[in-house]
Amino acid sequence: MLHFSRWKITLILGAIMLGLLFAIPNVLPKNVRDNLPGFLPSQTLNLGLDLQGGAHLLLEVDLKDGLEKTLRSELAGLRAALREERISATIRNRDDAIFVNFKNADDAQTGAAILRKQSVTVDSSVIGGGGKTLIIQKLDELHYKVTVSNEFIEYISNRTIAQSIQVLRKRIDPTGTTEMTLAKEGSERILLQVPGAKDVDEIKDRIRQTAKLGFHEVVRTDPVVLDLCVRDGRCPLGSVAYPQKRDGSYLMVKTREIVTGADLKSANEGLHPTNNYPIVNFRYNARGAKKFCDFTATHVGEPFAVVLDGEIITAPNINTAICGGSGFIEGSFTMESARELSLLLNAGALPAKLNIAEERTVGPELGADSIAAGKIASVIGLGGVFIFMWMIYGLRFGTFANIALATNIVLITGALSLMGATLTLPGIAGIILTIGMAVDANVLIFERIREETRNGRGPINAIDTGYRLSLAPILDANITTLIAALTLYFVGSGPIRGFAVTLSIGIVMSVFTAIVVARLMTSTWLRRARPKKLPI
Amino acid sequence: MFDIALVRFLPSDTRIKFISLRWVAMVLSLLGIIGSIYIFSTKNLNYGLDFKGGTVWEFHLDQDPTNADLDAFRQLGPELNLGELAIQTIAQAGDKAQAIRLSVPKQSALEGDDNDDRAQQLALESVRAAVINLYPEVSKLENTLSVQVLGTKVSGELKVKGAMAVILALIMVLLYIWVRFEWQFGLGAVIALAHDVILTIGVFSLTALEFNLSIVAAILTIVGYSLNDTVIVYDRIRENLRKYKKKPLEDVLNLSINDTLSRTIMTSFTTLLALTALYIWGGPGLNGFAFAMIWGVFVGTYSSVFVASPVLLLLGVNKARLQK
Repeated sequence: MLHFSRWKITLILGAIMLGLLFAIPNVLPKNVRDNLPGFLPSQTLNLGLDLQGGAHLLLEVDLKDGLEKTLRSELAGLRAALREERISATIRNRDDAIFVNFKNADDAQTGAAILRKQSVTVDSSVIGGGGKTLIIQKLDELHYKVTVSNEFIEYISNRTIAQSIQVLRKRIDPTGTTEMTLAKEGSERILLQVPGAKDVDEIKDRIRQTAKLGFHEVVRTDPVVLDLCVRDGRCPLGSVAYPQKRDGSYLMVKTREIVTGADLKSANEGLHPTNNYPIVNFRYNARGAKKFCDFTATHVGEPFAVVLDGEIITAPNINTAICGGSGFIEGSFTMESARELSLLLNAGALPAKLNIAEERTVGPELGADSIAAGKIASVIGLGGVFIFMWMIYGLRFGTFANIALATNIVLITGALSLMGATLTLPGIAGIILTIGMAVDANVLIFERIREETRNGRGPINAIDTGYRLSLAPILDANITTLIAALTLYFVGSGPIRGFAVTLSIGIVMSVFTAIVVARLMTSTWLRRARPKKLPI
Repeated sequence: MFDIALVRFLPSDTRIKFISLRWVAMVLSLLGIIGSIYIFSTKNLNYGLDFKGGTVWEFHLDQDPTNADLDAFRQLGPELNLGELAIQTIAQAGDKAQAIRLSVPKQSALEGDDNDDRAQQLALESVRAAVINLYPEVSKLENTLSVQVLGTKVSGELKVKGAMAVILALIMVLLYIWVRFEWQFGLGAVIALAHDVILTIGVFSLTALEFNLSIVAAILTIVGYSLNDTVIVYDRIRENLRKYKKKPLEDVLNLSINDTLSRTIMTSFTTLLALTALYIWGGPGLNGFAFAMIWGVFVGTYSSVFVASPVLLLLGVNKARLQK
């Protein structure tokens, strides 16, 4: 147990040097770190949001909304297809399914074939198909039930989430300079983490607005009809009533938009050419420009409504055909709100509503305090353990154990930096706990050496036996602790994972430093000093 | 001078008859377990935000809050129809003003919503607006220390995950010990661990300290730590069973516990040293964790001596197989 070959020693020292190399940038000031030559690692520990401050938001995508829309558009598709072939049937939408009732057996036969044709491959980009969009079930001779297949639902969900992420990225980080995490989490959530975020309310505002913009034709109607529509939701076919931002009174508009936010090319805030108050300027794309030009040309003298997320922000009159491909929205904006709206319009509308399912925001002050407290506790804990080890095992063996412990801390830091792992507040607790527990392996060995010395073995024999007999219990004891830590890593979430990471690395490193590093020191000393009696 | 052996603090060559105390220990442990289960079933745990949901907002005024300030905050609960607000003050580092921790209970779902996520956000907004109305300085971004908002869905998931983690860890460990030792050892270790987990939950139920995710992490670490201790003793038992083939099991158990006693004390002591530093200087965020761990070190050390080892006597050990 005490012999080390030359290459083994080189390997051990090399590993420690490597750890040191990766750990060192953490204690260097930033300007030194930035000027390090390129071949040296300059990466420091990633601090978790709980330590550096920032916003952590778990967003739940309202997929039900998207599915309902899909169902409705499928319904419209089926209806159109059947009508084209002059098949008479009633089609109803109930409980996430479409029910088709044919009038007679002939129609049912040809109609069923048409229904089947409507069910297409979900995602043609997937090799092998990935299933059909619709499931068509024959209830009896004349009745059919059509449901959306699970593959299609999954496809829509994934697409909705992917689009939402894209839109969010543009909204929260329009310049592409903010460091942030935006990723799908589970099947229906998006994780958004913005380190160092100052104004979380602003971020939340940008998330909550779907920013669905539409220009609608205003329907002239009498107050009774409008009232019925607002109060009971019984509106004339193809119409809907929205409140006006100006005074809250309702206007009835056509449900179908003339142009939508998707028809815009760009938007930016500006000032009204004559009256000098804030407005939002926008440019249409070619399609949008044509549609708006056609509409305004035929509706001169009538009003149209600009609707944003179910609210009419302005309803101006059309004075003349607008065909220039650009325009502006006025709506008692401030410069700030005009800028926000432009930003949202440029980013596009969210395909579904987002709910904030979890919010954890930490201010930078709290994080800095936590780090400072963690440092103090580590230093005091480390100092206490150092002194204690010296007291119990004397300067010689106490120093071996303490060097092993110090190496352990360096290696943990190095490994965390190398892996790009994130240090969280619980992670700091893991390191401090490791300071206390890491000496265990050395304690086991030293106690065994003492015991063997008492049993009358000479120094070399006692040390050799001590290391040999301690190996199995050290491994068993640490593997079991490692199992607990790894379980925590895989089942745990968020900052707690940071604890599992530091604890796991600490356990592995403590075994390495005790049975390799401390043993190397002991054997080197033994060979040089050839002691008659052990100072332990 | 490097070779001077220092004062010998630890007892060596002890011959304490731990196992003969097993009936006392059993009564004590059983009382503890029954008591824990009883308190838990009547008082439950003081679940923190992680498991309960709701809103916790930590902020500070420009100066320490007076009792009148705190009362004013408390009044906001009924005023805004949010239920009873819990208000706590927390000392901050340096000469900064005391922080105020304002907890809003979980709100029920708004009409038309299928979960209560939006209701929590609205509660946060209304309470913030009301506080800022009373103390305009709170609108400054740097006056907010942290905000945490969780609805039923996420907090429920965290609860299930936490319970699963503990149970899964126990099963994995049982399997490992079973493979490395004999099934009696595996069962003994898991009984000891279950004992530690139950007593820890009992203490949190009794003291009504906040039970959150970091306490679950602490419980898992206690499982790891206690197991560490148990495995060291078990390993020595196995070794001594091989060495002293004729000795009765009880004597072997006593001998093994005594052999490893100094190590048990040493490691517990250094771990407690580090944890005490964490408890005192580690800041408010890690207080609960440090407390749970300190408790766990005591319980875990006790259980590996007084629970895990006597269980072997109860179950019996297949000496023939161990001596192969």
